Amino acid sequence: MVKLTIDGQTIEVENGTTVLNAARQLEIDIPTLCDHPELTPYGGCRMCLVEIEGARTLQPSCTLPVAEDMVVRTDTEKIHAARKFVLSMIFSERNHFCPYCQVSGGDCELQNSAYDEGMTHWPIQPNWQSYPIDASHPFIILENNRCILCRRCVRACGELVGNFTLGFEERGADSTLVADLGLPLGESSCIGCGTCVQVCPTGSLIDRWSAYQGKETEVESTKTTCMGCSIGCGIDVLTRDNRLVRIEGNWDDEVSNGLLCDVGRFHPMVEDRERILTPLIKKDGKLKAATFDEALETAGELITSNQGNFSGVVSTRLSMETLAKFKTVCQAFDAKAVLTTEDCQAVSAIYEKASNESKPFEGKIDGLRDADCFLVFGEDITKDHQVLSFFAKRQIPAGAELIQITESDSGFDKFATCTLPVNNKSLADFLSDLGKLVKGDTETSEIAKEYDLDTDSLVYAVNALNTAEKPVIIFGTRNDISGSQKVVSAAVALSKNMDAMMVSTKGNINSLGAAGLGFSASGDMKGDLMVMLLADEELSQCTQQKFEKAKSKIVFSAYISPLTASADIVFPVQNWLEQNGHLVNIDGRILEQKSALDAPEGIFSNEESIEKLAEMLGKKSTISWEKELKSFASPVKIA
Amino acid sequence: MAKPTVASDWLGGCAGCHMSFLDIDERIVKLVELVDLRATPITDLKAPDKEGVTVGILEGGITNTYNEEVAKRMRERCQILVSLGDCAVFGGVPAMRNFFTIEDALNRAYVDTPSTDDSGQIPSSPELAKMTIVRPVHEVVKVDVFIPGCPPNADIIFYALSELAQGRIPKLEDNNLMWN
Repeated sequence: MVKLTIDGQTIEVENGTTVLNAARQLEIDIPTLCDHPELTPYGGCRMCLVEIEGARTLQPSCTLPVAEDMVVRTDTEKIHAARKFVLSMIFSERNHFCPYCQVSGGDCELQNSAYDEGMTHWPIQPNWQSYPIDASHPFIILENNRCILCRRCVRACGELVGNFTLGFEERGADSTLVADLGLPLGESSCIGCGTCVQVCPTGSLIDRWSAYQGKETEVESTKTTCMGCSIGCGIDVLTRDNRLVRIEGNWDDEVSNGLLCDVGRFHPMVEDRERILTPLIKKDGKLKAATFDEALETAGELITSNQGNFSGVVSTRLSMETLAKFKTVCQAFDAKAVLTTEDCQAVSAIYEKASNESKPFEGKIDGLRDADCFLVFGEDITKDHQVLSFFAKRQIPAGAELIQITESDSGFDKFATCTLPVNNKSLADFLSDLGKLVKGDTETSEIAKEYDLDTDSLVYAVNALNTAEKPVIIFGTRNDISGSQKVVSAAVALSKNMDAMMVSTKGNINSLGAAGLGFSASGDMKGDLMVMLLADEELSQCTQQKFEKAKSKIVFSAYISPLTASADIVFPVQNWLEQNGHLVNIDGRILEQKSALDAPEGIFSNEESIEKLAEMLGKKSTISWEKELKSFASPVKIA
Repeated sequence: MAKPTVASDWLGGCAGCHMSFLDIDERIVKLVELVDLRATPITDLKAPDKEGVTVGILEGGITNTYNEEVAKRMRERCQILVSLGDCAVFGGVPAMRNFFTIEDALNRAYVDTPSTDDSGQIPSSPELAKMTIVRPVHEVVKVDVFIPGCPPNADIIFYALSELAQGRIPKLEDNNLMWN
């Protein structure tokens, strides 16, 4: 511990703490621009200069480690003069014109800093050189005229996301933020995660969907869970007048610490499916608008007459509360099959394996953060579970190995330290053989020959797996793999062999929760009737076709789709942003889903709709999802 | 003691700051009790008194040689010079033309616009002022008080003027400091 004095207050802090963080512990405010709590200190903007007794010049507090008996002052005339000078230089360097800037009026850290120093004008004028603007990206606009060269975006792109797309070209006043080696952002290696936009202190990186739609002070914020995939990153949904303005990562969230991918951050902004606004009943081969009570009554008759002759199908984007209530209905009327819309053998194989194992065989995704060797197979997680890929990619500069087993092109191709092109058909066998190689039970060259692999690559991979201190296996299960059960067994055996943590990607956000309530991720429909809670899910064509085969259908859906078009009764329901509930994510965390928007008039949540259906059928929900989860043999510990 | 005198003028701006000044509404009565409002672009008397005024207010940036003259005249004739609004303080929206050459800007305005036919030509007469690079007022003459804002809120203008009327230099901070 080190003792120091800041503005007359004495504090003891850990050795290695920066003066800035020590001051923060004392709640002393030191203004910063290039500093960001999630990024390594950079010391680029000089806003955080402080006076250190005995030091010849002012020192940047963000990079200065504390020293014993240091005496620091943060509020002297000399410091304020220096801050004003720093700001004057920054303003003169580029073209910071507030009246037509998207972040002006509260959201700009540069403007706020100038206000805090009481700056009424710029002592030094800009030199009227115009800098490039890049609007080639579908979501992000890169405006070099507003850039203060703090490199937060560059650090976020590399340190947090591990993508290393952003960088600077030229030097000094000519420094220009560029993607790759000067490609337009839209044609670059940018994956559109938008982390750079979230960390940008000025209007240099803005997102085109939310630009000029409301400042931080004008929007409402709801902290909830992203439903883009099974990870369940914490999001901050910003709304204004019941309209979605922007989605931001929640830095305080424990799942991803503020990281999001394009699916979570931007895709909900471009949702353009047509909403179902009234219940529909098929009459003379055509769907006609009906009242909720009419639809409820007709649905009740259909279910009662098909007792023991129907399948219940649920989207795994639904909350535990909804699924539990629906299970009551399915049980009460002897559903022949209870399925999820995931329709994936690989996902169900994971849950099946768990039911045969005595204890969970998967780890928490926190374990990915300090892993030094990643073995990835089954799916391209840079597409479907992107934040997991960030955790892997960002460890590579620190020396982590990234070994992927895939025959097709993947987003990891530029990052992987080793690629083993093995066909998914022989994946199970290969994983067992890899297990043998790791134990030294067999010859590498033979195995390489068997799978037509480059021997050197295989030697490299085995060596990397063997020497790793914290190896992890990321098993992508979102796409079906032939012989799923065998692959799952081989993967679990390999992880035990290597003493590696395993994470499987499972299905949608509440895939694990649905499994916990007994909904099967694969299997055939049975009976003549299908009661489907489609929610706001967009099914693949193949899955859609499977469910379209049902003779008669009752579909609860937020949006119009081929499935609702062929249904006999359609109930409109709320979408993911409109309802509350609980979800169980990829690693067994129980996450909260909170309503950020009000649903259109007269549209109930999925939970309420099912509750009304159950009530009409005279069934009271008795199932507690918390209890069911406790007795569920989960692949990962639920907590 | 005689009331302090105030004169204002506008340069390369949009008159919005003067409109915002008028938005002080009935408080203008209180203001004229405190000050003698002399020449302004929105009253009959246009040029500040030769004998001088206590406070001179300029809206808009310096966009041509005529603006320079007006700014210098105001500076000579007032004790305290106030830059009112983002154009006067920073150059503002007109300063966007600084990214182009003056020739390009004139061509765009008088020749290239879709609504201009073949007869379009850049006006030229020795009597016309010459366009310059757009600058904030303090690049041409010394400015004592800066009131940024596009336009500055009427409350901010009223606060600043009432401080000046009572012989104090206004200090803009917190909610009174707004650049946009």
